[in-house]
Amino acid sequence: MPGFWRRLLGNRSAIIGLVILAVVVVVAASAPVLFPGSPFRRVDRPFQPPFGAHLFGTDVLGRNVAAGIAHGARTSLMIGILATTVAVLVGTVIGAAAGYYGGRLDDLLMRTTEFFQTIPTFLFAIILVAILAPSIRSIVIAIAVVSWPAVARLVRGEFLALRHREFVHACICLGMSDRRVIFRHVLPNCLSPIIVTGSLTVATAILIESALSFLGLGDPNVMSWGFMIGAGRTFLRTAWWLCTIPGMAILLTVLAINLLGEGLNDTLNPRLRNS
Amino acid sequence: MLRAPAVRVAVLAALTGVLCLPMTAAAQKRGGTLVVLVQPEPPTLASYISTSGPIGQVATKVYEGLLEYDFNLKPIPGLAESWKIGADGKTITFVLQKGVRFHDGKPFTSADVKFSVLDVLRKVHPRGAATFREVTEIETPDEHTVVFKLATPAPYMMMALSGYESPMLPKHLFEGTDVKASKYANSPIGTGPFKFVEWQRGQFMRFDRNPDYWRKGRPYLDRIVARFIADSATRTAAIEKGEAHMGGFAAIPWSDVKTLAKLPQFEATTKGYEMSSPIVQLDFNTRRPPFDNLKSRQAVAYAVNRKFVIDNVWFGWGKPATGPISSNFAPLGFYTNEVKSYNVPNGIEIANKLLDEAGLKRGADGVRAEIVHDLTPYGEEWQRYGEYVQQALAEIGIKATLRYEDVPTWLKRLYTDYDFQLSSNWIQGLADPVIGVHRLYHGKQIRPGTVFVNETGWSSPKADELMDQATVEVNPKKRAALYKEFQKIVVDGSPLVWVHELQFVTVYNKQFKDLIVSPLGLYASFDRAYSDK
Repeated sequence: MPGFWRRLLGNRSAIIGLVILAVVVVVAASAPVLFPGSPFRRVDRPFQPPFGAHLFGTDVLGRNVAAGIAHGARTSLMIGILATTVAVLVGTVIGAAAGYYGGRLDDLLMRTTEFFQTIPTFLFAIILVAILAPSIRSIVIAIAVVSWPAVARLVRGEFLALRHREFVHACICLGMSDRRVIFRHVLPNCLSPIIVTGSLTVATAILIESALSFLGLGDPNVMSWGFMIGAGRTFLRTAWWLCTIPGMAILLTVLAINLLGEGLNDTLNPRLRNS
Repeated sequence: MLRAPAVRVAVLAALTGVLCLPMTAAAQKRGGTLVVLVQPEPPTLASYISTSGPIGQVATKVYEGLLEYDFNLKPIPGLAESWKIGADGKTITFVLQKGVRFHDGKPFTSADVKFSVLDVLRKVHPRGAATFREVTEIETPDEHTVVFKLATPAPYMMMALSGYESPMLPKHLFEGTDVKASKYANSPIGTGPFKFVEWQRGQFMRFDRNPDYWRKGRPYLDRIVARFIADSATRTAAIEKGEAHMGGFAAIPWSDVKTLAKLPQFEATTKGYEMSSPIVQLDFNTRRPPFDNLKSRQAVAYAVNRKFVIDNVWFGWGKPATGPISSNFAPLGFYTNEVKSYNVPNGIEIANKLLDEAGLKRGADGVRAEIVHDLTPYGEEWQRYGEYVQQALAEIGIKATLRYEDVPTWLKRLYTDYDFQLSSNWIQGLADPVIGVHRLYHGKQIRPGTVFVNETGWSSPKADELMDQATVEVNPKKRAALYKEFQKIVVDGSPLVWVHELQFVTVYNKQFKDLIVSPLGLYASFDRAYSDK
């Protein structure tokens, strides 16, 4: 592991990503301290420009935009990580089973996966949230449901490749249980692509959550960046900061995660490792 | 001696007429195309089946009604040139205009009126059954005379005979067919100033001038095009660029109206909505705690800052509402503001005191009660409104969780399952309280499954009695007195919070004149509109 960190920290894009992400995490973690109380609370007259009494100004109902950014960071990160965790767990289990056992089970699981893949991701997420009624829980479910198929395909591919390698045959000959082979020997060998995909899925999840909130399908009780953009869009011509600031927040966070993901890929990919 | 003044008046009138005629004729130019932004696109053109708002903006150019109305909400001639109400209020005789033809050339007669009212409106129109419920028979002694026979007087019926509320249809095209599935639903044939030409779904509807219109010389415009643009920013841009000339009923977002109104070529007006009279509300479910308690309902009514909502959510368009009847009914004498007022500067203080009295003590975290507040799923303003209400309730210790659902789910929750505590809502007072207001407060209007009726579950025998009396009272003064007492009782009972009278704004290009000429506004026929260019 020290080797991993050394290599990762030797990667410039990874460092930039890590630094930005660290800032976002610190802001998110300290939101209740920096801006106590509800971010929906009115603090001043509406439409106060930024860098005056309030760092990022106030919005149409006199809410503090900076408080929204800080509390929105919590929402974005939480949803990104939760949804990705669920998607990666489900995708890995299905992909592993399909790749390891093959045959009919593989057919069944992959046709099911393809069925999910044929539906346009974002439309599917909208429909799910609309049916389940907007709440944090339904948004996490919706993002997980549209994100797992990619992971499943990836894991299946890795498993297919590893399944017939000699060390796996050896394990089977030694009489190991399937579970042990899968979890102790095959899975650790395809962890790096899963980690890279997972990190990029976090970025996608944040974008999907923002887009859903923008369309008014976010949880109405929870502050989020997408919600702030959606609510400020009407005033783009009169109050530019309402859309621009949360927009920058999304841009930076997603960019950071992508940079970090790329860095992880460079670090973990054995073919790139020596170059 | 006696005759002299009359003669003088006649001469004067003739002179004025002679002098004015060329001037008015010169002012009202023929020609031009008016592009109206209608939002959203109407689902159908069958205004006799559906009252969905946007339909009224287009179908009224084709279908007319027996009456039109002036800004004092008094009936004026439409397809009926005159009318007489019998002394007992149970016989109404209409004399129809002569020389009126449908767009297919067939004459419009008393038989069409009888058919439209009895066979179409009363059977399939959402409000027709209520409007014409007292009609026992319609007699047609000749082609131009229609006699309505009523079981009991129905003063409200006279307010509901516009082309928007009660369109007159051609009997010869509908008779003997299934009215609900008529092929003329989306290719309407009426008597109106404009003929329906085409409907490109998702894009526009086109109406061309009817050269044989019965008001000779009208209409002045050659064409009316209704355009459908889903995105609000694009609609504003279309008006700004001059691609479209008019938009009402929130087609132009309230937030953009102020910006447009500052430009010299545009006019923004709140006139023309006097017969819709919407009120923005908070509806309680009076069956459930905490709002089964009058004091907690009144506390919420005190907690809402009307001015803040009007100024910041609706950008100044609106005025504080005082009770169940809109101040738009003031010309008829029905409105009063001499009721208990919840719009007071120390509202929060009073609200906290009322909640203490109601036994809802603050917990250690300052919360007295937790509720779910349902948002009205109609768009942005409504979401902001819900967010404001959440904050206002927080100030008096009521912690509200917001719930946002799609329209059918929300309607079912409110009007069928009664599975709510507090919901945003807005309801139109319409042309007469009997049609628009009684439905929200009468005990008999607690009808599970019917939307936009009494879902709060509140009723009072005294209020019911007053409404029943006002329904049949033909004397306007007595009727007004009944409504004033009604308002006092309902406001005291606080079955819902009347926040403000929503003001829709119509923005139009000043190049066009006489667009909004009656309380029906965009629901009028536009026969007098002209382009001054």
